[in-house]
Amino acid sequence: MAAPASIEHTHVHSIRLASGAEALAARVRIAGGTQGFGFTLNDDAGLARDMAAWDALARSKGVPLAVLLGGFHGKQVKLEWDENNPALPPDWSALRKGILDNKFDLLRIDPFAWGSLEQVTTIAAAAAAFDLGIALLAPNAHAWEIQYCATLAATFRGEDTRIIVRSQSSFSSIPVSTQPGIGIDWTLEPAFQKIQWQS
Amino acid sequence: MVHAGSMYVIQKAERTVVEMELENGAIGLGDCWGTPEVYAMAQSFAKGWIGKDALDRFALRSATLGKSNYDNKYGRNGRAAYAGLDLAAWDAVARSLKMSLAELIGGRTRESVDVVSTLPAAILPKAGSRKDLTDHLDLRANTRLVVEFALEQVRKFGFRSFKLKSAAYSPEWDVKLLNELKEALPLARLRFDPNANYGPAAATALCRRLDHLGLEFFEDPTGEMEGLARLKAAVKTPVATNMWVVKDEQLAPAIRRQAVDVVLGDLFMWGGIDALRRMAKVAHAFGLKPALHSVYETGIATVANLHLASALPEVEYPNDASLHFMSADVLAEPQTVVDGKMTLPKGDGLGVTLDRGRLDKLAVESAQLR
Repeated sequence: MAAPASIEHTHVHSIRLASGAEALAARVRIAGGTQGFGFTLNDDAGLARDMAAWDALARSKGVPLAVLLGGFHGKQVKLEWDENNPALPPDWSALRKGILDNKFDLLRIDPFAWGSLEQVTTIAAAAAAFDLGIALLAPNAHAWEIQYCATLAATFRGEDTRIIVRSQSSFSSIPVSTQPGIGIDWTLEPAFQKIQWQS
Repeated sequence: MVHAGSMYVIQKAERTVVEMELENGAIGLGDCWGTPEVYAMAQSFAKGWIGKDALDRFALRSATLGKSNYDNKYGRNGRAAYAGLDLAAWDAVARSLKMSLAELIGGRTRESVDVVSTLPAAILPKAGSRKDLTDHLDLRANTRLVVEFALEQVRKFGFRSFKLKSAAYSPEWDVKLLNELKEALPLARLRFDPNANYGPAAATALCRRLDHLGLEFFEDPTGEMEGLARLKAAVKTPVATNMWVVKDEQLAPAIRRQAVDVVLGDLFMWGGIDALRRMAKVAHAFGLKPALHSVYETGIATVANLHLASALPEVEYPNDASLHFMSADVLAEPQTVVDGKMTLPKGDGLGVTLDRGRLDKLAVESAQLR
């Protein structure tokens, strides 16, 4: 399920974050002219575009992404420091086998490694069906990653739903944006503001 | 004409039609079972929805049916009543957002959907007793009436997919009839549905005899998950259910037990669009095929199933449909089967409008809640 929107134009740009890390930022313009934005701190431009398309669609309707995914399950998501447990590799065969072999209580998923929002929402549905918790890893603990994880996690069923980060945080939970779009504060990175988007 | 199914002789269908108006004036339509129990529950639930946010569907479900299935004191009827309101809410929200329901669910990937014509287990000249039915079934030549009915469905509507119901009275009747249907309609997709009225041993023996026909699937050939799993292991034809995997917590055990190949999801048994959408994704992820079940809905739920099929790429089988059997509907726009397909209406939400005159003619009872 890619975003059900007619895409007119996409542009992906590489930016240097304040931390010095590199990120890909994507802009998607959909029919009607609404723009949406996405990002990734890995090298998967497809994921950034997927995110941007969903952002554009939700903005065009004036609703938070959760509305397009079935609604909010919660508006505050737990945030945990989890230094050691690895996220499950993006491999459906291994995931299926692990679930059926009762290897997991909690599915630790890096949503930026699975390639699309569709993959993550399907894993969340599987977690709900098999009564498993789901934890979304913000791999670099960047604020954008945490905000995106929160937006997704808000639509997941289950008390075990949480975001995990690899470094300590002073927050034990974070609020979910109810603004139109995917709920990311793009002003947090000055480099994003300076991007010269192609028309 | 009287259609004998597996569990009933059908002469009328009762439905609860829901019309929901949002604060912004958008009106959504829903439809669910029409038994007095479900109608009363739908009314009771609706009272609790007034003033609530139609976008906040998880909260609405939790407030209506409880946080878990354990909390759902209303059982299957409650899920059906909830589904009627849920559908109206999705429709109203989609209309508010100026999207079709399919787009809101996940994307409008096709404009028309193949549909299945149900074939009755037997066609009787008039309604009668159980003995009349068994006498009719004892006369094997009467299978011809069902074959002729199927051919008529092809001529009138272009159907290419059929579901044969079974009274589970006589395996010999079923074998003869399915062979005759296969001969008369060699290119048609045929599914066989005795509604779990054969015991596991009889069903397995029967399905082994039918296995060579290459049917689309055996739908609930027997009862309970264990019986289905054993039968599935004994035949090559896929095994489907709309009776034993009908709610969230039954899906994982069915996957683990390898009990079925196809989950025929029914919007009302599953309790709404979100549950059905989750089922489709999980079933597909674990190698099962989701499909859409229906039984004598109005045009509202029939069209909702078209939107679901369009939005869920995991759904590959034709949709069940029975609107063409109904003598009347409540929609202003007739929903017809042409060349074996139904077309998604254009427009926002479901894309259909209620014909109040038709509704008033059919209405048994109505209530307005503000």
